[in-house]
Amino acid sequence: MKNLANNSAKILITAAALALFAFQTAPVSAAETEKVFKFYCAQCHGLTGKGDGPNVTKDFPVSPRNFTNAAEMNKLTDADLKNVIMDGGPSVSKSPMMPPWGKTLTTGQVDGLIKHLRALCQCKGKQG
Amino acid sequence: MRHLAVATIGAVFLIAASGAALAAGGDVFEAKGCGECHYTQGPAREKTIDDQLAKKGPELWYAGSKFQKKWLTDWLADPKPIRPMKFNDLMVENPADHPKLSGGDVAAVAGFLMGLTSDAVKAGKVKPKKNPKGRQIFIKKMPCSGCHQYAGRKGKIAGGRSGPSLVDAGLRLNPDWILAYLQQPKVFKPVKMMPVFVGLLSDKDMLNVARYVANFKPKKSKKKRK
Repeated sequence: MKNLANNSAKILITAAALALFAFQTAPVSAAETEKVFKFYCAQCHGLTGKGDGPNVTKDFPVSPRNFTNAAEMNKLTDADLKNVIMDGGPSVSKSPMMPPWGKTLTTGQVDGLIKHLRALCQCKGKQG
Repeated sequence: MRHLAVATIGAVFLIAASGAALAAGGDVFEAKGCGECHYTQGPAREKTIDDQLAKKGPELWYAGSKFQKKWLTDWLADPKPIRPMKFNDLMVENPADHPKLSGGDVAAVAGFLMGLTSDAVKAGKVKPKKNPKGRQIFIKKMPCSGCHQYAGRKGKIAGGRSGPSLVDAGLRLNPDWILAYLQQPKVFKPVKMMPVFVGLLSDKDMLNVARYVANFKPKKSKKKRK
């Protein structure tokens, strides 16, 4: 009886872990990604990604990246973008004003955002 | 025995009177239309970005744990913008058009809102104080100041504009709520524009930030010497 209870608990935990993994990595549509971008990223990067969100006053300590600047965006690989979104500016020696979103966004949302940024810059980025 | 009976009747009367006052405050809250923009029944309902964007104003189901009563009472009578931008909007400035209450409605609604509390907020955890570690995190290590205004050196307003202003937040917010919000953000705001810092900041760091923010108060003006 005890073994049965233990096995049931293990199955439940495994199912919960799989469900969480599926939720975390589920692909996010382009329309949903645009919502994510406008909700989180536009605060600093602006609704159209030009780096002109409402937080960017004359006292803002850095210039948030303009995602429509293909020349600058082409210097970054998709892995660079993922790192900076997940772990924040300091993970790539940039400003802490870029927050770490890894505990807020799902992996699927981050992957969607990378595609969205590539659409904004109309560039493929450095191939790494 | 007689004293016990009198005390019991007194306690029952007080509880009944307090319950009646809360109910009256709730009636005023609804009659004035506050419920059209603010919901007061917990737990948090938002599950998606659309849910959050559909709201016209902040949820108030834990207002009594979040706010300080004096600040809330003063604010209901004379509301001043807390957010530089309109609620849920990154393009439009706050129109500063929140309705005012007057007369007895102020105390009634303040009493009602202060009765809305959350068990997730534990009393007596945070004492506001100058806190260099909290300041370091708020201004340098983490991006808090990127989205929240605060009074910087010589009282100059610094910081970003997408989040609620934290200027004089020590008068507005319950210090214990600040900590609870950092530690359990999904209890209060499951979908919000602010990053989740759980797992990024330690409990000690969060305590330092809470102490630091809770100490945001107006500088006492020095009397001019004659």
